[in-house]
Amino acid sequence: MGFEIDTRPLWLLLLLRARRLMFFMALAAVFFYLLFMSAPAGLSVEGQRAIAIFIVCLVLWMSNMVPLAITSLFAIVLVPLLGVLSKKDTYAIFGNEAVFFILGAFMLAGAIMHSGLSNRIALNIMDRFGKSPRTLLLSIFLLAASLSFVMSEHAVAAMLFPIVFDISKGLGLKPGKSNYAKLLFFALAWGCVIGGIGTFLGGARVPLAIGILKESTGLSIDFLDYAIAVFPLVIVMLIVGYLLMSRFFPSEVTDVSSAHAVLGKRLKGLSKISYNEYAVGGVLVLTIFAWVFFGKLLGLATIALSSVVCLFVFQLVRWKDIEEYVNWGIILMYGGAIILGSALDKSGAAQWLVDSILVNWADRPWMVFATFSLLSIALTEAMSNAAVIAILLPVSIGMADRVGMSPVALTYSIAVPAGLAFMFPMSTPANAIAVSSNYITIKDMTKGGIIMCLTAWVVFNLLAAYYWPLIGMGYMK
Amino acid sequence: MAKDYIDNPAALKIDLMLRGLRIDDPLVKAWACGVDGIDIMLPHNTLVNIPCREEFTKGSPYTIRKKDGGYVIGGHSSEVAVSLVPKPKFYERKTSTGIPFAKIASVHGGVTSITPSPRCDFFNANVECKYCAGNLDVKGMDKTVYSVDDVVETVAAVLADGIRGIIYLSTGFSDEPDGGIVFLKPYLQAIKNKFHCLVAVETLPPKENRWIDETYALGADSVLYNLEIYDKELFELICPGRAASIGRKRYMSALEYAARIFPSGTVASHLIVGLEPPGSTIMGVDCLVNMGVVPILPIYRPGHGKALRIDPLTAEIILPVYKHLYKAVKKSNISLNWVKDLSMVTTPAEMRAIVDKTASNGSLIEGFYKSKIGRKAAWGLSSLMRKLRVKKSEEDE
Ligand code: SF4
Repeated sequence: MGFEIDTRPLWLLLLLRARRLMFFMALAAVFFYLLFMSAPAGLSVEGQRAIAIFIVCLVLWMSNMVPLAITSLFAIVLVPLLGVLSKKDTYAIFGNEAVFFILGAFMLAGAIMHSGLSNRIALNIMDRFGKSPRTLLLSIFLLAASLSFVMSEHAVAAMLFPIVFDISKGLGLKPGKSNYAKLLFFALAWGCVIGGIGTFLGGARVPLAIGILKESTGLSIDFLDYAIAVFPLVIVMLIVGYLLMSRFFPSEVTDVSSAHAVLGKRLKGLSKISYNEYAVGGVLVLTIFAWVFFGKLLGLATIALSSVVCLFVFQLVRWKDIEEYVNWGIILMYGGAIILGSALDKSGAAQWLVDSILVNWADRPWMVFATFSLLSIALTEAMSNAAVIAILLPVSIGMADRVGMSPVALTYSIAVPAGLAFMFPMSTPANAIAVSSNYITIKDMTKGGIIMCLTAWVVFNLLAAYYWPLIGMGYMK
Repeated sequence: MAKDYIDNPAALKIDLMLRGLRIDDPLVKAWACGVDGIDIMLPHNTLVNIPCREEFTKGSPYTIRKKDGGYVIGGHSSEVAVSLVPKPKFYERKTSTGIPFAKIASVHGGVTSITPSPRCDFFNANVECKYCAGNLDVKGMDKTVYSVDDVVETVAAVLADGIRGIIYLSTGFSDEPDGGIVFLKPYLQAIKNKFHCLVAVETLPPKENRWIDETYALGADSVLYNLEIYDKELFELICPGRAASIGRKRYMSALEYAARIFPSGTVASHLIVGLEPPGSTIMGVDCLVNMGVVPILPIYRPGHGKALRIDPLTAEIILPVYKHLYKAVKKSNISLNWVKDLSMVTTPAEMRAIVDKTASNGSLIEGFYKSKIGRKAAWGLSSLMRKLRVKKSEEDE
């Protein structure tokens, strides 16, 4: 362990340290002001308190001054403490189906990663299809996307990163200089991001959105319905992404045989496919089958947790094998966000916010949809996608009633764009992992990311306007 | 007859260090028995360690005697009241392992000096500094290394005696690239963990700057890399070991870097007056001050058979060097609150009285830092600064 000495003047260091204290003092002042000011017309006392909690959580989620999960815990404490919801209701909401679905999805992904199945699939696909620079690039891009249909995109990025890194090194590509290396890492990051919006499993944000939707309206979204509604966007973005990458970074590599040596070496290092891999793969296929065909009947969380129980019954995993893959922080964060969303809804605060603020500048359904999706895609570049949902969704659901729109459509308008973080490393872990390779710079990512974001937003709105009615969905109730 | 400086304590300190003191008074003689120099407090709280046993002291115009229940130092025609600095009580006691505390620590005014390993390998390679009194290890001396517990016990005894100020931890020559800080690390950490006191570290300049970062991060409030001689040729001639294993250039770059890392006024370097021409020392002072380093100017005390001293060397010749020292440091705005109250050497702060004869005891701020609450504030400020400035980095060493 080494040391770094910050030689900036003492006053500046003190100011920087005090910044945190000043931030929390200012936040506390705002909180108490919102709490004790006279309530505006049409807003109940509970609603006023819910808004005060919401604004404090919004600032904390956006600023990341404390971990996201801790902000959620703060909401969980304040909601019953200030009498917005009863203690019993608050903690009951935490036991929402979405939270258990996320837990089950984490455990399943952990089991797949731990068995080595995902790694084996990735290596084989790249080895088989990546014979030329173009097909190698495409195989990484499509592999990252398709694995993100069934696993968290963060886990996919983390799993593929060492392989892509070794390939870049094996090809002798220069960090920061080689266009082909940039292409490989963009394929990894953007593949994960695009694939991550394809199903419920790419990230926990869609289950979170459904959790909030269900708590507020009793409505839900089906696994298959979601996939059908969003899949065209995935296809278009994969094509746009590939064209954009190839245009921005024309490849200088003509031969990838040395990359094959790297893949070959890694493949050789694998033992022969084990019973565990077959069995875990089988459980996963059955789980997806059940989600698609029995999701409505049995509930997504029930199916996910049943599969997890199966894995343990047949001793395919041990607790300590998958414990590290379960992100308890995210689970806490989501539980808290759902409680806060519910508090805003049940106290009438969300409705009041919509009536008094939003309705004035977006009153037509397509405008409301476009506005929320734009806000979501813009915010997700700078903050956690789950936080974006926690902030926007309760308000948008309130708006749905006011303008006669379907809350389900508005849930889509936020949940899908919240996953489309292309621009910055801090937007999503997949981008951060790619930038950490040093093969691509933040500037590279921002340049292409802006076009990807705008394209995604336009395509998503066009799909909602013209494709959704064809599959029986629409803006209106 | 050479003039005396009875009426100016700062100049008197220099002249006393240069010429020594004759002791006729049997009481003082008994009191000074067994020591190379006696600590005496001159007016304006100017502390000095005066040589009294060496050969050259026999020609000194200064004597000390008892008068009206106190003591006076007399020159050719006048005299000034002084006080003997009592020997610390802990000198009489031993550690729990039986080592006399006096062997481990020695108090020189505001500084308690501790050298956990009294060894310097330059002696064993015959490249020792030519002026060295050899009070570290020479061939044949035992290779005692005091344990951390012994040193901690000693510091506890020092503080329990009410002796405040800075603890100086020093090493002799070490061949390690860290300059000796790795050896001092457990001592430094133990002292910092157990006591609220300021610690200065005196080592050789490490080969890489990261050791300087570490020295600060470990808790050193002040650091000394003693160049001793500014003139390049004389440095190589008089300090052959240092010149060969470290080199003058590294002394300079390490000091320059340390002055950027440590707070103002806490990085210091000795330049021994009397081993090189005064003009060269002045250039050295300017060079150090420009880097933000506090020059400390001890006066060379010729030992047995060591006649390295430039000749003639009188107060008239070297006082301009000290005046220049004070002015240069003052102009540079380097803090004077750290390097002060040293009996063995002369610090810039003390030289105020030479430049400004009406100056008394230093500024209000200096007075504050000498008070008990001021010392506590200095410790608190230093610790707070370290807390704010040090970040652990994950790279491997
Ligand atoms: S480094 Fe030089 S002055 Fe110090 S103890 Fe060794 S020989 Fe003596």
